[in-house]
Amino acid sequence: MIDLPAAGSALSLLSSSLDAWIWVVPGLLIGLVFGAIPGVSVSMAMALVLPATLYMDFLPAIIFLTSVYTGAGFGGSVPAVLMGIPGTSSAVATTFDGYPMARQGRHNEALGAALFASCIGVLLSYMVLFVLVQPLAEMVLKMGPFEMVAVGIWGMVLLGSLGGTSVSRGLFAAGLGVLFGTVGMNTAGYMRGTLGIPWLLDGIPTIPAMVGLLAASQLFALVNTRFLVEAEEDRRISLARILDGGRLVLRHPGTMLRGALIGALIGATPGVGSSISNLLSYAETKRTAPDGHTFGQGNPKGVIASESANSSSEGGAMATMLALGIPGGGATAILLAAFAMHNVVGGPRFIDQNRDIVYAIILSNFAQALLLTVIGTGFVFVASAIVRVQLRILIPCVLVVATMGAFAIEGSSAGPITLLAFAVLGWQLSRYGYPVAAVVVGLLLGRLIETELLRAYQIAGGNALEILNHPVALTIFALMLASLAVSVWNERRGRRAADAITE
Amino acid sequence: MTGQDAPARRIAWGHLALVTALAAGVLAYLIEARAVSLSPHNLLLLQPTAILVLALWAVIAWGCVRRTAGASQDGPEGTWPERLKVGAMVGAFALYIAGLETIGYDVAAWAFVLAGLAIGGERRPLMLVLFPPAFAAGVILAFKAMIPYPLTTAIL
Repeated sequence: MIDLPAAGSALSLLSSSLDAWIWVVPGLLIGLVFGAIPGVSVSMAMALVLPATLYMDFLPAIIFLTSVYTGAGFGGSVPAVLMGIPGTSSAVATTFDGYPMARQGRHNEALGAALFASCIGVLLSYMVLFVLVQPLAEMVLKMGPFEMVAVGIWGMVLLGSLGGTSVSRGLFAAGLGVLFGTVGMNTAGYMRGTLGIPWLLDGIPTIPAMVGLLAASQLFALVNTRFLVEAEEDRRISLARILDGGRLVLRHPGTMLRGALIGALIGATPGVGSSISNLLSYAETKRTAPDGHTFGQGNPKGVIASESANSSSEGGAMATMLALGIPGGGATAILLAAFAMHNVVGGPRFIDQNRDIVYAIILSNFAQALLLTVIGTGFVFVASAIVRVQLRILIPCVLVVATMGAFAIEGSSAGPITLLAFAVLGWQLSRYGYPVAAVVVGLLLGRLIETELLRAYQIAGGNALEILNHPVALTIFALMLASLAVSVWNERRGRRAADAITE
Repeated sequence: MTGQDAPARRIAWGHLALVTALAAGVLAYLIEARAVSLSPHNLLLLQPTAILVLALWAVIAWGCVRRTAGASQDGPEGTWPERLKVGAMVGAFALYIAGLETIGYDVAAWAFVLAGLAIGGERRPLMLVLFPPAFAAGVILAFKAMIPYPLTTAIL
């Protein structure tokens, strides 16, 4: 599986080229800063620096861009933890436990856990890529609409676990989210719920809606609070506690590995990537954890699950891009654009003929992940200062930055208008105890499921038994049912044990 | 629990109004979608989900009507001045969004930060005078440099 001579020549390529290294640290820093700005996505950060790579050699250019990719992948979790703002859809699940941890004064640990989970996630996913680049890419080609529906439904099962204490409110919120996800023109060409607004034809802008639901609504609820962290002694920024967060990751290797595996596999699937993998990993970790009921209240395992999955999606997405020449998302599309700028065409032939360069990119990413632990720790240290800022200053400032981010994503006032509408909706829903996160997950998965369900329906000609001809989809369903059965059994066992103790 | 100390029932009007408004929106969406086409290609996911939401509305609305006083998660908390402050912040944010394209993103941001600080209780004159324009200018100039689209501004 590993082409050793090519790996050797990749090592010599990297060790003899200073150019390949000098762009790593600036790339990581740019990625961290841009990723931490709500509304500036990973692909946007990469698009901004793309012109600068025109005058670099091919390898340094790609290494620079992947450094930005790696940095921005973690950068997005900083506002997710500190302010509950998922700057990108891949950081949604990080807010579920990261933000409650920050509110409890455990922002240092949450950010430390997120950072180390991200770094290890990147490392693991590139290790998978190093060994399995070709088989992984071939497996991706087997993911058709049936398999995608299975993945989407697996994600939807999570909605049940976001319901909190009231199942009906959880399902109501999730149903609303799914319906929001179906607004606009579907793949069959039917236009629904656009209210005559042209920009709704493409559907509700997802990221502004998400920021509105999760962050802006929370900020309204904090208007009468003085600081993000109430207790003064908890507002300290401590390197030791950031590192403690890192140690938490090492204490939960199972969560980490599961997240990295889900991230690499889902990340490799074009069009899905990290936005779904973080939710699946979170759901699976919550379902299998003995302390699953504490998820959503500041359980670090939730942060680790989400961050390990979204960061390892990078390796998966790179596998698809390098082996097949298919961009899984915006970030890998930019990388392919950089390939084209240097007259290089990605795909099977590129891998066959330039295996040393592929290995050099992978090895450089190992180094990036290690460097990110150092640079990211410094970045977290500086970014954590936000907990010391009074909320009366922070709230209007964050709302302005979120509004500008929403504009930046949509390129029109559609972003800010969506942000406002969903901020008010989220504020009202959370006032009455509805899990706003369920609306977000429904919104993210609604469109995916509808699109893939339609494709599957068309392929099957309305015959539901057609799924029997899709073993991968059946395997995903079987795994999902098995995991559900195990969690129900564990819950029952836990309840019996609790009953035995009380008796 | 004996009949004597059974808690009194009180309809949760606020919650009922919210959930009913949302359900009405869902019903309107379903009717509009069905008017577009009754084809499964149009309603495959939308219709069953909408029906599920409407059924859940009935469950939740029944809970709102049958609610006992003091039940948890049944409404907003806080004193009236606190609620007024939150309402003022939401109102200011809505005005800010509404004004973006008309008065420009720069002036709107400056005015909203000023209003937000005032609503939050900031009373230091220097902070109110210097911080909002400085912050608005910093953010607008940074985004102007980053984004490829034209941004409506009045001054910057």
